[in-house]
Amino acid sequence: MSKRVGIVGAAVTPFKAKWYEKTYYELAQMATADALQDAGLTIDQVDGVFYGIYNDIFQRAAIPEHPLQGIIGLQNKFGIRISNGGATGAYTMSAAHAYLAAGRFKIALVLGVEKATDVFDFQSMSATPETIKTIGWSGDSFFEQKLGWTAADSYAEVVLAYMDDHPGDLKPEVTAQISSLLSQQVRTNEFAQRRYDQVTPEEVMNSRTVVYPFKELEICVYSEGAAALLMAEEETARAISRLTGKPVIWVTGVGESNEHSFAGKNQKLMSRIMSDHIAAHQAYAMAGIKDPLHAIDVVEAHDAFVHQLGITMAEMGFVPLGRANDLIEEGIMTPGGEVLVNPCGGLIYSGHAVGASNVMSAWSARRELISRGLRRALIHGTGSTIAQYGVAMVLEHD
Amino acid sequence: MPEAEKKKVIPLEAIPDVGGHTVNVGGRDYLVLNDAMFTFYQRSMGEFSPFFLALRDEKKILGSRCTHCGQVRVPPFMTRCPDCNFAPTELVEVGQVGRMLSTPPITYFANSLFQKQVPFGRGRVLLEGADTALSVNVYTSKGILVPGLVKKDTEVKVVFRDSRLGEISDIFVVPASELTPEQVAKPGLQESEVNWEAAEEPALTSAGPDEANRFQELYGQLQTLAAEMNQTERARKDIADWRRQIQVKTTGGQLVLEINDGHLEVREGIIPSPDLVMVCQDLDVLVRGLAYKGSLTQAIMFRQLWISKNAEFTTIFKLERMARSLARSKKK
Repeated sequence: MSKRVGIVGAAVTPFKAKWYEKTYYELAQMATADALQDAGLTIDQVDGVFYGIYNDIFQRAAIPEHPLQGIIGLQNKFGIRISNGGATGAYTMSAAHAYLAAGRFKIALVLGVEKATDVFDFQSMSATPETIKTIGWSGDSFFEQKLGWTAADSYAEVVLAYMDDHPGDLKPEVTAQISSLLSQQVRTNEFAQRRYDQVTPEEVMNSRTVVYPFKELEICVYSEGAAALLMAEEETARAISRLTGKPVIWVTGVGESNEHSFAGKNQKLMSRIMSDHIAAHQAYAMAGIKDPLHAIDVVEAHDAFVHQLGITMAEMGFVPLGRANDLIEEGIMTPGGEVLVNPCGGLIYSGHAVGASNVMSAWSARRELISRGLRRALIHGTGSTIAQYGVAMVLEHD
Repeated sequence: MPEAEKKKVIPLEAIPDVGGHTVNVGGRDYLVLNDAMFTFYQRSMGEFSPFFLALRDEKKILGSRCTHCGQVRVPPFMTRCPDCNFAPTELVEVGQVGRMLSTPPITYFANSLFQKQVPFGRGRVLLEGADTALSVNVYTSKGILVPGLVKKDTEVKVVFRDSRLGEISDIFVVPASELTPEQVAKPGLQESEVNWEAAEEPALTSAGPDEANRFQELYGQLQTLAAEMNQTERARKDIADWRRQIQVKTTGGQLVLEINDGHLEVREGIIPSPDLVMVCQDLDVLVRGLAYKGSLTQAIMFRQLWISKNAEFTTIFKLERMARSLARSKKK
């Protein structure tokens, strides 16, 4: 019988377009120290660390986690690094959950960190094209990288295939309204990269097309930052909660799925994000959820692109496939709607510090559950080429 | 290969000089160093060698057919079929005409290695005889690739580069409708056999007094915008280290946009050899773009704005970024 696992502490550093003042060493240490403080723990009480770092090249080092072990005070203890594309943070939480549930540890640290904009393109004298190139090394090295593969054109393939099957869904007016809504929600996230960048739907509509059909204000922004969680098995979690007076946020469901990376017969069905569908429904089954729209109060979804967020919400059962417009037109995610989606502003406005992003989502979901007294949240991570990886996690208030 | 034709695996212009600078944040200096993480390879194409050699030497496309279930995978990215308990596969040749699996995306803002190639499409084609889709670049021989030109099920033809290395980029596809029936039927059709319509500068209608007056009015607005941008630090930063002279031609008149390391100047006149020529019937297209009330990229996509060099999309993006920076600073 596996043990129940809960979150007892969480912290994020500010997510910034560029941290001139700090390397990823200090960002990782800051998040760790703040999470420990939040949980009322000291580092010697922690049994091991799960690092979420996506890309070696961003950190400019292979095995970039090795210097962190001593910096965060966990020398001579367990440390493992998880790297799963955009879903790195979510997969890192999933791994920590498994070790704790298995009884290997009592308390584990989840530490996501990324410095995505130290890279620089000396031809355009700007960072973004080099950031995109660095992620571009994630495409298939034999058959795709030399075609100019990028994360955006890869996700756009899935979105356009979905729109081939569901013409009229994901209307430009709807995606613009979702982005505008997220830009309002980000106001309450004091750590967000674009906290004060509120935009109107018209501004979204008028922003330039980066990769058709995505406009600039419909895409997550790359970021630098760290996020940390302290997770514990039930007995320890309850003891910590008694000391801090903060409720345990339990992980009651976890699901993961990696699709095929090539498309066609018996392979990836391009118009679907089956990874999200399978991961979410696996997590619902574990948590005993039959009707996610009514059972879940808060969703912190990985919104790499607004259109993908719409499809992900459909795949996770909040609207039928082909009816993503309902998220806005039926008021499902508008203020006062049935579900609060990305109250942190999502990665589009908070920033995407890849390894830290989904951990930041969990930090936000926990905060919302506690501060608003809500019952259940869903965390989601997506990543790799053509939305190949999907992870979902159900969190519940004590 | 003669020395002059040799290419480096890293473009020389992408490589920075050794050095660095300091950035002051909150009264403290932070050191920023130019750096690179580079590794060179002599990388074997292993089991994919027959596929890449066939592209390079025979202008053929190979797939792998499962000897048990018969599924044909293109590219032949596995030698055993995981759906049939890893039964062996065999190489087969497939067709060079196919249909798009889904509507392909079009990249306008590429990664730093592909900035000069935008806009380009990348999609997946189901070639005749194949069950799985091959990732390919999608081009048009008729000017700039715009949405709607290539969609799901559009029939496309594989075209081979004249100079091939044995890489996936040795081939690309164009809509079959742009070719003659003979070209569509021909195996190993090469890029030099396709009629690539030269980028012809669009003709402008002749101007009357109304157009000239409108030009003057919009020219004034453009100058105001440029002055505001030059007073906005963030907008100035967007064109730091960038220098371009742009000739703008409209029905009502011509003007020069000059980007000079953080400074944008608008003036009347004609320059002999501009870095870029922009043509739009109505100067309002440019004014709206810079005022963040429209998008220059969208104007290019919908043929309201013509630019002489695709490679200069980088300059377009910098101008659009300035527009957004100015709009943001005005909000604050």
